[in-house]
Amino acid sequence: MTLMILSSIAAGIIIGMLTHPFWIQNFATLFIDIGTILLLIMVGISIGLNSSVFEQIKSIGLKLLLMPLAVVVGSIGGAAIGGYLVGLPFNEAGAVGAGQGFYTITSIILATHSNQLSTIGFIANLTRELASFIFIPVIAKKLGYLETIAPAGSTSIASALPIISRSTDAETVVIAFITGVICTALVPVLIPLILNL
Amino acid sequence: MGVRFVMYLAAIATGVLFGLKSSQNNFIIKNRNIIQIVVLLSLLFIMGIKIGMDDAVIQSFVAIGYKAVLIGVFAILGSLLAVISIKRFIRGGDVK
Repeated sequence: MTLMILSSIAAGIIIGMLTHPFWIQNFATLFIDIGTILLLIMVGISIGLNSSVFEQIKSIGLKLLLMPLAVVVGSIGGAAIGGYLVGLPFNEAGAVGAGQGFYTITSIILATHSNQLSTIGFIANLTRELASFIFIPVIAKKLGYLETIAPAGSTSIASALPIISRSTDAETVVIAFITGVICTALVPVLIPLILNL
Repeated sequence: MGVRFVMYLAAIATGVLFGLKSSQNNFIIKNRNIIQIVVLLSLLFIMGIKIGMDDAVIQSFVAIGYKAVLIGVFAILGSLLAVISIKRFIRGGDVK
């Protein structure tokens, strides 16, 4: 899947560089808006189909919501600090951080703001996903189980979940999944909000 | 962006309600993975074209990449510190 994603973007970049199809400018934003909405409906359907998540939240208690809150606030705050070091406005860097590893949606939403920020959003969040694959087993051993959910962010609902499962215990997997669901739902909501700051 | 925020929120809420209410035999539910992949790859292709047409982005790709990796690393560190600071509220005194 990652290869297909990278190939699509690479093919688009090469065609854009070689042919400069300016007619696409007229409808690209509309196309991105419609496509993003379709994609988010599909994300919502996946959440709705896993309705047991809502019962699991009840059984562990509301304190569980501290996890996604910490992941979101930490991601945005950390990215804003990183952005400050490289001269990026805090709202733009914060919006990139709000992607929490969900690099596809993040870069697509940021493309409606600027191409440069969309590229940063893609690379930063892809880096986060790849780094989480490498570091989750190390973090589980050296720091603790719950900490493995931090680098995974929204990917703890998908690609990072098998690695978390292999490195931690069953309760952590449930917490990771719920955190991933909430973080994923928050990505498209937070990015436009933070960009507006 | 304010309008987009509302549209995105409404899209997710619509999806959640649809997922909760629909049966597994529904056409969209059954084919949601393929729909998702087709839409996603098309969007990324269009996004790639937009980036490819932007000479400023292409010319500064390495500089942008370095900034992006640094922001990604700081996002990980920030979330890690935040989770460490709230961990005890979730699992009490557990070591793990």
